[in-house]
Amino acid sequence: MANGIASPQLKVHPVVLTIWRQAGVATALVLLVVVASFLSDRFLTVPNLLNVLRQVSIVGILAVGMTFVILTKGIDLSVGSILGVSVVLFAGLLETGSMATAIPLGIAAAMVLGLINGLGVAFAGIPPFIMTLGMLSFARGIAFIYTGGTPIPILDEGFYNLGNGYIVGIPIPTLILFAVLIVSGLVLGKTAFGRSVYAIGSNEDAARLSGVPVKFYTALVYVISGGVAGIAGLVYASQLSVGTPIAGQTYELDAIAAVVVGGTSLFGGRGSVLGTFIGTLIIGVLANILNLMGVDPFVQQLFKGALIVVAVFIMTRSDRSGR
Amino acid sequence: MPALSRQGIDKHTIEFNVASSLLSATGLRKSFSNNPVLKDVDLSVAPGEIHALVGENGAGKSTLIKILAGVHKADAGEIKLAGRKLVLKTPQDAIANGIVVIHQELSLAPHLSAEENIFLGHFPRTGFGTLDRTAMRTTTRQLLERLKIEIDPTIPVARLSIAQQQMIEIAKAISFNARLLVLDEPTAVLDSGRVDTLFELIGRLRAEGIGIIFISHHLDEVFRISDRVSVLRDGQLTGVADITSINKDWLISKMIGRKFERHDAQARATGEAAVELMALSAPGAFEDVTFSVAKGEIVALAGLIGAGRSEVGEAIYGLRKPNAGALRIFGKDVRRSNPRYAAAKGVAYVSEDRKALGLLANRPVRENATIAALARFCRLGFVGIAKEKAFVGSSISELDIRLASMEANIATLSGGNQQKVMLARALATKPKILVFDEPTRGVDIGAKREIYRFIEMLASEGVAIVMISSELEEVLRLADQVVVMRQGRVTATLPKSEASEETIMRAASIGA
Repeated sequence: MANGIASPQLKVHPVVLTIWRQAGVATALVLLVVVASFLSDRFLTVPNLLNVLRQVSIVGILAVGMTFVILTKGIDLSVGSILGVSVVLFAGLLETGSMATAIPLGIAAAMVLGLINGLGVAFAGIPPFIMTLGMLSFARGIAFIYTGGTPIPILDEGFYNLGNGYIVGIPIPTLILFAVLIVSGLVLGKTAFGRSVYAIGSNEDAARLSGVPVKFYTALVYVISGGVAGIAGLVYASQLSVGTPIAGQTYELDAIAAVVVGGTSLFGGRGSVLGTFIGTLIIGVLANILNLMGVDPFVQQLFKGALIVVAVFIMTRSDRSGR
Repeated sequence: MPALSRQGIDKHTIEFNVASSLLSATGLRKSFSNNPVLKDVDLSVAPGEIHALVGENGAGKSTLIKILAGVHKADAGEIKLAGRKLVLKTPQDAIANGIVVIHQELSLAPHLSAEENIFLGHFPRTGFGTLDRTAMRTTTRQLLERLKIEIDPTIPVARLSIAQQQMIEIAKAISFNARLLVLDEPTAVLDSGRVDTLFELIGRLRAEGIGIIFISHHLDEVFRISDRVSVLRDGQLTGVADITSINKDWLISKMIGRKFERHDAQARATGEAAVELMALSAPGAFEDVTFSVAKGEIVALAGLIGAGRSEVGEAIYGLRKPNAGALRIFGKDVRRSNPRYAAAKGVAYVSEDRKALGLLANRPVRENATIAALARFCRLGFVGIAKEKAFVGSSISELDIRLASMEANIATLSGGNQQKVMLARALATKPKILVFDEPTRGVDIGAKREIYRFIEMLASEGVAIVMISSELEEVLRLADQVVVMRQGRVTATLPKSEASEETIMRAASIGA
C-alpha cells in the first residue's frame, strides 16, 4: 500500500473472512447447541443431529434459492407454491413414466414458473413482492388443477429413496442440500454472475452503468429460485410418497426466515449462502430441542416467531456498531 | 466581532472573548477504533458570526460537526453554548439546545408541503389536539417573510428546486429557534445564481444574531461571506484567522501543509477523432450539439448546472437516446446505444452522482473497482481473485487511494478516495474514451490534484476525455478545448488559447 496510514497488512484468506463475517450468526448457533445439549441428553447424539439435518433439508434448499433473490433486494413469495407444482408433477409423471423423465420435467416446470417471475420483475418492472405474490396464488392453482384436488400416490421405489435413503450414513436429502449449498456458494462467491448479484442488490443503477446485464441477471435469479424450489419439491415428494397439491404451503415464509436469521440483508447486497445455512440450522435446532423437551407445538410457534425477530434485531445492532 | 487574530497565528495564542462567544468548544478529541480523527480541537463562534470551517476531506470536519450535532460523542473536550456546558447525546439534544446542522443531503419529507416540513416534529395543535393548520400557515408565512424566502409553503417540497428545498430546511432550523446553524457544503448542490440567494439568506441570519458554521470546498465562497475561518488538517486545528487578515494561499497552505502549485500544461498533441457529435439533439435535454474529441484530447463541457452538459455525457455513454443528429465513435455511427454497447466500444463513464450511480454501498473496495471489467479477470465465468487483487493493488498505489485494506467497505472511505475508486473502475475497462462528469465534486484539494494529474496522464496515453465540470479552475487547467453550453445549446467552442474565466462565464450565462 502506497500511503502512510496503511495498517500492517494481514494476509487473510477470503474464506476465513467470510466465516468471520458469519461469526455472529455462527456464535448464536454454537450457543444454541450448547444450551440444547444441556436441556436434553438426547440432543447431542448422531442420530438426532442427522435427523435435524434431514428435517431442515427442504426449507434449507428453498432458502438457498431465496438468498439469491434477497441479495438482489428482491423477494420470492412463490417458492412454496412452485414446490407444490413440482411435487404434483413428479407424482403425476411417475404414474406413467420413469424418474428419468419425471425429475427433469418437474424441475424444468419449476424453472419456467421462476422465469415468469423473473420476466415480470426484471423486464415488466413489477415489484418482486407483487409479482411473486401473484405467482404464489397462480402456481398453487396449477397444482390443484393438475391433481383435481386429490393427492397422487407415489409408488416408485427408487424415487422413495431420494427422500428417505442414506449414503454412507448421511440422509440423501441432506446430501442434496449440501450439493445445492456448495454449488450456490461457488456461484455467488466465485463467478462474475455471483459478483453481479451482489452489485445489483447493492446499487442497481451503478451496476447497470458498469455494464452489468442487470435485467438478464435479475430474471436469472428468479429462475434459480424456481429451479431450487423444484429440487426441494423432489425431496418433499419423495419423503411423503404422495403428490399433494397443498405441498409447501407457507414454506416461503420459513425460507425467508432462514435467510434473514442467517444475516442476509433484506435491503440487498449483503449476505451469503453460508449464513443462510446457519440460519436454517438455528431454526431447525430450536424446533428439535423444543420437540425433544415435549413442548406443545402451538407454543413452539411462539418461540420461532420470537427467535426471528430477536435474531434480526441483534444483527441490525451489530451492523450499526460495526461501522 | 470578537476574538480576532493575526495572520498565520497558531491556535494557542488566540485570545477568545469568552463573554461574547456563542459556541465555545475546547479540547475535542475523537477516535474511531483507535484511529484518532480529532486531536484536541478548539472552535469558537460568536453570535452573528459566519465561521468557515475548511480542510481536506478526511481532515475531521464531518466528525467535528457530528459531535456538535449530537451524532457522535466526543472522547474528551467540552462544548459550551452561551457559557452553558452541553452534554449532547442525541441529535435531539443538539436541536433542543439550539444547534441545528443542515447536511448536504437534505432531510425533508418529499410528499409533505413546505409548511408541514417546517413543523414536522413540533406541529401546532388546536385545543382538541388536532393539527392547527391556520396557526401553522400563519407562522410559516411570517417566518418566510422574515427570512425573505419567496416560496409557496403549501406545495409539496418534491416540486421545489434543490435550492428552494435548502431554504425550507434552513427555515425549519430557524423555527426550532436555532442559535447555531451549521451548513455542511450548502453550495455544493447549487449553481452560482442560487448561491447568491443563499448567501443573502445567510446574511439575514447573521443580522439576527445567529452563529453560523459554514463548510465549503470553494475558497472564493469562504472569502466572500465568512468573518473568521478555522482550518483542520489530519484532525488538528492548523489555523484560525480573521478572514480579512489572510489570503487564499495561506488557507491552502494550512489545509495541505504544502504550497499548491499551479502549472500550465501546454496543449497536447492529439490524434484522430474519437468522439464526434454532429448536430446531436435529445428531447428536453440538449439541441444541435456539435463538437469532437480527438485521441489524447481533453474537452471540457462548461456551463451552469442544468445547461444540458451531463445529458450530453449520458448520450455518449448510451444512457440517453438522441432523436436527431449523429454520434460517431471512432468514425462509426452509433445509432442505438446502451452502456454495455458503449463500454464495448471503449467508452467509460464516471457519473457526477457518486452515491446514487457509482458506489456499490456496503461492498468492498475491491469489488467496486472491478465490477465494470469483471470479464477481464474471469475464466469460464469464475473471477480470478489473484488477478483481481493484483489489479486493485496496483490501482490503489497508482491513484494513491488511502484505505486500510482493499476489503474495506467503500462507504468507509472519504469522498476523494471513493472518487479515485470510481476512476479505477473506469480504468479497469481500459477505456479509449472517458466521460468524466464532475471529476472532483466533493473531493478535497489533495485528491483533486491527483485526479488532475491522472486525467492528464490518461490524455497523454491517448485516451479521449470528455470532462464535464462546473469548476472553472479545473476547466482552464485541464481542457484543450472548452465547449460552453447554455440552456441545452452550445454557445461557444473555445480552444485553450481563447478560454478564460471571462469568455466561459459570458458564454455560459449570457450566451454571447
